[in-house]
Amino acid sequence: MSSRRDFLGELWRGTGGALLAASALILHRALRAAAPAPRETTLSAEAVSRAIAEGGAEWGDLFVTGPPSAPAALSLACTHLGCRVRPASSGGFACPCHGSRFTADGSRTAGPARASLSRALLERRGASWVARL
Amino acid sequence: MGGSALTEAPPGGARSPSGDLGRLAFGFLAVSALSGLALVPFFSPAHALESLERLHDGMPWGFFLRALHAYSSFGLLVTTVAHLVQVLARRTERQLSAGAWWRSVLLFPLTFLALLSGFVLRGDAAAAEALPVWSRIAETVPFLGPELQRLLLGVIPGDVGAISLHHAGTFTFLLWLITAEHGRRLVPDARSLVLAGLVSAALAGAVPLTLGPPPGASPSGAAQILLGPWYLLGLQGALVDLPVPSAWLAPLLLVLLLGFVRGADGRARRLLLVLAGAWVAAWVGFTARILLLAR
Repeated sequence: MSSRRDFLGELWRGTGGALLAASALILHRALRAAAPAPRETTLSAEAVSRAIAEGGAEWGDLFVTGPPSAPAALSLACTHLGCRVRPASSGGFACPCHGSRFTADGSRTAGPARASLSRALLERRGASWVARL
Repeated sequence: MGGSALTEAPPGGARSPSGDLGRLAFGFLAVSALSGLALVPFFSPAHALESLERLHDGMPWGFFLRALHAYSSFGLLVTTVAHLVQVLARRTERQLSAGAWWRSVLLFPLTFLALLSGFVLRGDAAAAEALPVWSRIAETVPFLGPELQRLLLGVIPGDVGAISLHHAGTFTFLLWLITAEHGRRLVPDARSLVLAGLVSAALAGAVPLTLGPPPGASPSGAAQILLGPWYLLGLQGALVDLPVPSAWLAPLLLVLLLGFVRGADGRARRLLLVLAGAWVAAWVGFTARILLLAR
């Protein structure tokens, strides 16, 4: 038979456990609701033209390339673990973290990445281009 | 925990080498925490690399303070591993209760998390790449991945504010709490603290640390690989060949292997230790793998 002290101890522990579980649930719901929104990057038409004239250039997390009438933007995030790929000396792109390789148009050629580099959706808005990833 | 229990000799006895290493690990933890506290006024999560460059180049002894923090953290990792090896070799793990043993085993992933979060706070090119890697690894944890990723890394992509709080607060607090329980002391003894401080200071003075290039800079070397921190090269190498979830499955496996050692006898204990040894050998192999790839 448990004493009054034991009973109160169990009660405090049970209440504490319930409060902890409730707090964890609230935190879980808050974290779930904090999913980042799709990112948009605005590129000025002038910068896009300059990038295309140079044969392609980095713009933030994107690599912008031609043709001028329908520019394309590749995400520079490696599809393996998200490291920023760099232009490789041998052409295309190389991931500095685990050695994945991609061609200039973003197709995967080697390394642990399973997919090609993502292409951003480019949309003309007035004098600018908006890239959505 | 009573006041006398906080200062009594740790399990293993005062002359036990494993006890000495454990106390030294506590000393390194204290030096790391104190030097980290001293770094707080100079560090800005929003301008991580810039603030550390200013500390390095513009403050008297700034480079030394940061190196002291880093070397004491490395000392914590090395002495903790050495302490575990001696405990297992001397079969003294049963001096701890089962619960305390499991919590002590958790010191390993916690130490790695503390060190990795410190590495990310450097804000240079290699640190900037570690952030998305950590984020993607956390996302692959079943059921809780995205929530765990946001809890550890914050909800603002690329921002290290949450990590800096975890580094200085959560991880340090948990490390201290479990270490204090493990060693049955609230603070390290004076000899361990002084010894850890002297070793860290000697290394900080003799082998100054540098910061890497800013984020986005291309790595040097033909293979164009940015090497992560030395203690995580095994993980970096493993991720070249193994699926991404192995980054959390493998540490979990090691924690389970070590955790179950305490309750195992005879052949079962030997099997667990052989498997843990194979785990370590694989880690060393993957470290060699990434170093060769980076050449």
